Amino acid sequence: MTRNLYHDKRAQWLLYGAVFLALAAVPLFVSDGFLLNQFATYGVYGLLALSISLGWGFGGILNLGQGIAFGLAAYGMAMTMQMQSQDPDSNPIPPFMLNNSLDHLPAFWEPFWSTGGGILLALVIPTLFYVVFGSLMFRARVSGPFIAIMTLAMLSAWYTLILDMQPYTNGANGLSPPSPLTVFSTQIDPYSPTAYWIVCGLLILATAGTKLLTQSKFGLVVQALRGDPERVRFLGYNVAVYETVIYAISGFIAALAGCAWVMLVQYVSPAQLDTNFSITMVIWAGIGGRLSLIGSILGAFLIQGGQSYLGDQFLNTWLLLLGAFFIVVVRVMPKGLAGLLELALGALARPRRGDGTGARADGAALPAAGE
Amino acid sequence: MHLLDAVPLINALILGLSIASIWLIAALGLTIIYGTVGVINMAHGEFIMVGAYTSYALQSSIGLPFLLCLPASFAVVALVGLVIERGLIRYLYNRPLDTLLATWGVSLVLMQGVRLIFGSDPKYIAVPQIFQDNLAFGPFGLSVFRLVVIAITAAVVAATAWLFYRTRFGMQVRAVMQNKEMAASFGIDADRVYMITFAIGAGLAGLAGSLFGVLAIVLPTMGTAYVVQAFLVVVVGGGSLVGSVAAAGLTGELQSVFALFSNDTFARFLLYVLIVVFLRFRPRGLFAVAKARR
Amino acid sequence: MGVLEIHNLRKSFNGTKVINDFSFDLTELTLNCLVGPNGAGKTTTMDLITGRQKPDSGRIVLRGDDITGLGEHEIAQRGIGRKFQVPAVFRDLSVRQNFEVAYSRQTNPFRNMAGRQPPGFAPRLAEVTDLTGLADRLGTEAGLLSHGETQWLEIGMVLMQDPAIMLLDEPVAGMTEAEIEKTVGILNRLKRTNTLIVVEHDMGFVRQIADVVTVMHMGSFLAQGSLREIEADARVREVYLGEPEV
Repeated sequence: MTRNLYHDKRAQWLLYGAVFLALAAVPLFVSDGFLLNQFATYGVYGLLALSISLGWGFGGILNLGQGIAFGLAAYGMAMTMQMQSQDPDSNPIPPFMLNNSLDHLPAFWEPFWSTGGGILLALVIPTLFYVVFGSLMFRARVSGPFIAIMTLAMLSAWYTLILDMQPYTNGANGLSPPSPLTVFSTQIDPYSPTAYWIVCGLLILATAGTKLLTQSKFGLVVQALRGDPERVRFLGYNVAVYETVIYAISGFIAALAGCAWVMLVQYVSPAQLDTNFSITMVIWAGIGGRLSLIGSILGAFLIQGGQSYLGDQFLNTWLLLLGAFFIVVVRVMPKGLAGLLELALGALARPRRGDGTGARADGAALPAAGE
Repeated sequence: MHLLDAVPLINALILGLSIASIWLIAALGLTIIYGTVGVINMAHGEFIMVGAYTSYALQSSIGLPFLLCLPASFAVVALVGLVIERGLIRYLYNRPLDTLLATWGVSLVLMQGVRLIFGSDPKYIAVPQIFQDNLAFGPFGLSVFRLVVIAITAAVVAATAWLFYRTRFGMQVRAVMQNKEMAASFGIDADRVYMITFAIGAGLAGLAGSLFGVLAIVLPTMGTAYVVQAFLVVVVGGGSLVGSVAAAGLTGELQSVFALFSNDTFARFLLYVLIVVFLRFRPRGLFAVAKARR
Repeated sequence: MGVLEIHNLRKSFNGTKVINDFSFDLTELTLNCLVGPNGAGKTTTMDLITGRQKPDSGRIVLRGDDITGLGEHEIAQRGIGRKFQVPAVFRDLSVRQNFEVAYSRQTNPFRNMAGRQPPGFAPRLAEVTDLTGLADRLGTEAGLLSHGETQWLEIGMVLMQDPAIMLLDEPVAGMTEAEIEKTVGILNRLKRTNTLIVVEHDMGFVRQIADVVTVMHMGSFLAQGSLREIEADARVREVYLGEPEV
């Protein structure tokens, strides 16, 4: 039995609680609206890192196309907010459509007149897409690297489509709804603590929910199939269904992030579906520690935070170092920064345990069996 | 009357051949690296980019003629590939997902490194005047340079096929691919085979890069545009040389014909979706065969 | 009527007939050893029964229920558990977690999100750890077990499934003498309450566990009977030529 604090469930929840509290308290100390807005966007990145950690870290599904859910949801949210500025009678058509000489609102825009319906669609459509696309891939039992390539190709397909549908999506310029989101006749100022707390609340709920999920029997089966899907199949589980479910949940979290993002920045463009952005999400989780939800989230904070505080002048050097560090992570520390913490806590625990047999560190010296 | 109707289609097919040659030469290096070494090299696009910058740098500094830039780019990028294989890839041969990620890190490093050296503004590679003309036979036409690309692609594919199927080295490569242990017992050094193959694959990307630098502008980010395409060709083709030739031909022609009925971007979208659906039904036959389990 | 009946099974790979008109009946509460020279088609037969491969023709019937052509998980749910030749356990999970995953009474992903374990887990775990002797290893990461322990863990995992039939592919491959002895004990206890098919090369091991021995040769049924009958069979002697250890 290992006595490493890192593996202690109560200690884990304590850490999660502490991080949640700290995040929620930020507006009490930060009064600058722009800074608060920036911190809130980090929360969005945290959600994305969380979704990658769930799919890749726990499920072993390396998804290089998470921008699909993020981008589609962001477009849905932007469409909803755009329609809040339109009037069904006097001014039903968004200006960019008029510029593209559309004389009526396209049918697929109609549902976005309703704020509730629009946001619902923004969440449901990406998730449904993940269910369909996921079951397509997972029933074909495609291998890990293959999934990475297929998700990447699908992302490129969506990117191209949205870019191409200029009259309906405003192409490369994207959508920029003129006014902030209004719900229940209250406008949510993106620079207010309210907006921050909404994102923070989403992050906390999603993280806690995901953590519970990974601790359930479902989560255990998912971790098992990461190592050996065939073994899980022979135990009676329908692996494709499990993989599709985990993939879709991960997509749903990314969709939440997409909605939150547009609420904060009032803008979406095909850049949100750019392949580089999706791969950046994987880097956050990889460096933070994909096997740890909170590690991945903090990885996103660290990397994006570092990027904005170094400024444009050092941006290129920063990205270079990031790439180099990522190589190091992949090569020698697959558990990322969270893995370092695990090692440190393990080292702390060792002296107290004496030299008991069967302990992790001692056992690791045994030759691996059956290979 | 009939001929006139067919003109756009035939033109599209000619253009399709050109597109196919671009897809193919972009994917060629990736094909031999994936097919032989089994590495999914996400830095392939950046190998292409480095090839383009090599040509640009040699041309603008010492005025190397374009046709000599091609082999020079091959050599330089092959060397880059060799260094990366020795320093990183060889430690990851049994971890396909990790190689994918690590090579993505490599791509970031290469991209930023080039940006720091050359800046972010576009560069151009000059070609002889004759390459810039258009060649026309009645209603059918294509630019001379695109013809050059087709010719070079054909030549390079032939050379690659010769190397892998007609030489002693090629025999060693195929032996290692089939059974590494058995090949080793015949005295074939698998490590060396992997290293050389990786370097050649990288070099081919470099050569493609100097061609693409002429077709489009030279930018640090230019590689990303090619990498997804190149992967699709390799994946659809199943990792073999013949497969890639067929896949590139098919996808190039399809894209060109689709574009007849819509436009370039939408054609590409359709193609991507088609490929994803196709892969759903032929995943194993095209990628790796199911491993026996005992 | 056997608990598992195989009728006229055929399977070819690239034109080579690997399983050729193989028929076979398994009696409830027996331990049936499936033997035969290399390439006789034993592992392929396992693959066909468990759904890993689909037969070209023939039927596989479990307790009157035709399971031919079903998916692996469907066959597993109907009560066929399989242990692989190269032990397949979840190496980065603890032994206990391995058993938890293997306790697959509830396979619906959404139901499994709610509860930690379906009822009946604890007594079953106690039973299985008692049989396999892994009670004090529950907290250990499975990747750190010795080879023998890994084999017992996988046998235990199959048991957690509570299968109608257990298929064990070379359960003592690579084991030390002491480990083989312990495995013999486990299997002899198991066959009082379970129905088993064991694929095995080692005739000494077969002698210690088998109720019935079935001999396969070139993908077909060759002979079946008690070990003594099999050893006396002229065709079997011919197939085995040198009669190893017989």
